Amino acid sequence: MNKPLSSKDWFGKSSAGLILGFTLALGAAGLFQRLAGVGDTFFSTKGQFAMWLMSPVWAMTLSFCFMFRSTARAWCWLAVANLAIWAIVLLPGGSHP
Amino acid sequence: MKLPTDLVRMYKEIHGWVGIISGLALFVAFYAGAVTMFETPLQRWASPPPALASAPSLQRTPELVAKALAAHPEAAKGYEIHLKIDSANPARMSWTSARGEEAEHGGGVKHYASLAPDGTLQVATGGPSEVAQFIDVLHQQVGLPFPHEIAMPIMGAIALLYTIALVSGLVVLLPSLVSDLFALRIGKNVKRMWLDVHNVLGLFSLPFHIIMALTAVVFAFHDQFYGAQGMVFGGQERAGRAAMSAAAPPRQSLSPVQLVQRVKAQAPGFTPEVLVYGQGRGGLPSLRVQGSDARHGMRAPTYGMAGIDPETGAITATDYMPGMQDGWSATITSFFALHFGNFGGNAIRWSYFLLGLAGAFLFYTGNLLWVESRRKKERKAGAVEQTRATKILGALTVGVPLGCIAGISLTLAAAKLLGASASYGLHSAIYYAVFLGATAWALSRGAARSGAELTLFAALSMLAIPVSSLLAGSRWFDTASLVLVDTAALALAAMLFLAARTAKKRARQGPRDSVWSHREEGPQPV
Repeated sequence: MNKPLSSKDWFGKSSAGLILGFTLALGAAGLFQRLAGVGDTFFSTKGQFAMWLMSPVWAMTLSFCFMFRSTARAWCWLAVANLAIWAIVLLPGGSHP
Repeated sequence: MKLPTDLVRMYKEIHGWVGIISGLALFVAFYAGAVTMFETPLQRWASPPPALASAPSLQRTPELVAKALAAHPEAAKGYEIHLKIDSANPARMSWTSARGEEAEHGGGVKHYASLAPDGTLQVATGGPSEVAQFIDVLHQQVGLPFPHEIAMPIMGAIALLYTIALVSGLVVLLPSLVSDLFALRIGKNVKRMWLDVHNVLGLFSLPFHIIMALTAVVFAFHDQFYGAQGMVFGGQERAGRAAMSAAAPPRQSLSPVQLVQRVKAQAPGFTPEVLVYGQGRGGLPSLRVQGSDARHGMRAPTYGMAGIDPETGAITATDYMPGMQDGWSATITSFFALHFGNFGGNAIRWSYFLLGLAGAFLFYTGNLLWVESRRKKERKAGAVEQTRATKILGALTVGVPLGCIAGISLTLAAAKLLGASASYGLHSAIYYAVFLGATAWALSRGAARSGAELTLFAALSMLAIPVSSLLAGSRWFDTASLVLVDTAALALAAMLFLAARTAKKRARQGPRDSVWSHREEGPQPV
């Protein structure tokens, strides 16, 4: 299993980082909205902060997704991370914080 | 620091590829961005002396507004009263006639109004130069001549590649950080020297680059981010946008003199620069004051703002008012301010200017290293001649940056030579003609010969800036400190002349198989 890391499978890993990284970032924004109690207008200053939060989460996921051993692992682990964050955002009390 | 070798090797390859894809666009973004740090002074430098009568005093401004609104009722929808008059703001009153999409992006025709000595209304369309604005847009769109909505997602993709490049570059540098950091090996091994320069620049300006990368991602994708949030979490975007409808000008409003006094009393340290009159919901008058405060970061590149009650002059909206924001607003504003470098006055502006130029140089050295490593790899594989791809990339590495430098310089110089006829479109045409010309020249002549030639060309273009000032005369200088523009151009021109000499020397004496080599007496390729 300890196959050395290589840039050969960049496409699979980076598409996982691009797609699941975006949903992860959206989940992070949702989590912040829940915790900070952002109301109806997401253009409020707290809503703007939630939007800003998406950039580092997305960009960092995309930058570090190459460290997964394989494409399959990248998709699996990022899916698990998505599930975890979206479970907290969506499950108790519905999608409207 | 020890890192697994396979990890470092992988990130080294990724660094090379994302760097070579995004490097040239980033060069243009950083060079134009560095120039944009002085957008306001450049606009003054490039603007012709005003054609209108000199602005009436603030006391007489209500008379000007009444006459202008009587003659141009459409201006009641929104107009500005300028408290600071200079060649970039040549009139006391201005308004823009633009609709919908145009107005969103600051387009439309701008009108300026003044009073002649006999008290009659004077209105002129167009006035201050738009060259500084053109360079700003060039910066925002990483040099792409496409419409905004096409260029921005491309810019965003470049910004994402740029973050990958930062992370991967750091991973590659970490293992040898301690031994390489303060080593700047200037000597026989030119590639080693460029690598050292690249590492030092990259590491020491890393915080600056992280800020730029992450904010640029937001600037590119904020509509998509808000859209996705709205889709998933519901809620409306804004509390209802101010509806624009024609109605009578505000009555019982305080005069500009009184308003300025009230604002200064409430916000000491804040310098009000523009009063923006508009109409809010239901045609009710709305008023905003724009200004600057060097003690704080500001939301817009050159100003902060506050909502004012036109009847009492009380500050009512402080979300974007420097020094009066709550914690969340101040945090959001700090993200913008860190990108714009608009806090702390001129010291920070100069620092950002230098960091921006250093950033541009970082991408340039990155491209040089890529081309150089390709050559070594190809040599090992047995190729004596440079491959086509390496030749093209070498040529682009020379043509794009130098074309960008020359294009910006010449379009700036053109502002003074063309005077009032220099439109936004004309500035754009001049820039792209020079830029594409230089790139084509580099591709047809090869990196080695064009390197020296185009550097000389860029130096001469830079020199055109002070020359245009001399030709236009001192009437264009509404303040003596604008000479700094010409002085900075002279200094940059001198550096480019030196670089041109070195490039020529290397083409003659450097290793013959290098893309930078051009020897007249060498054997002709078969």
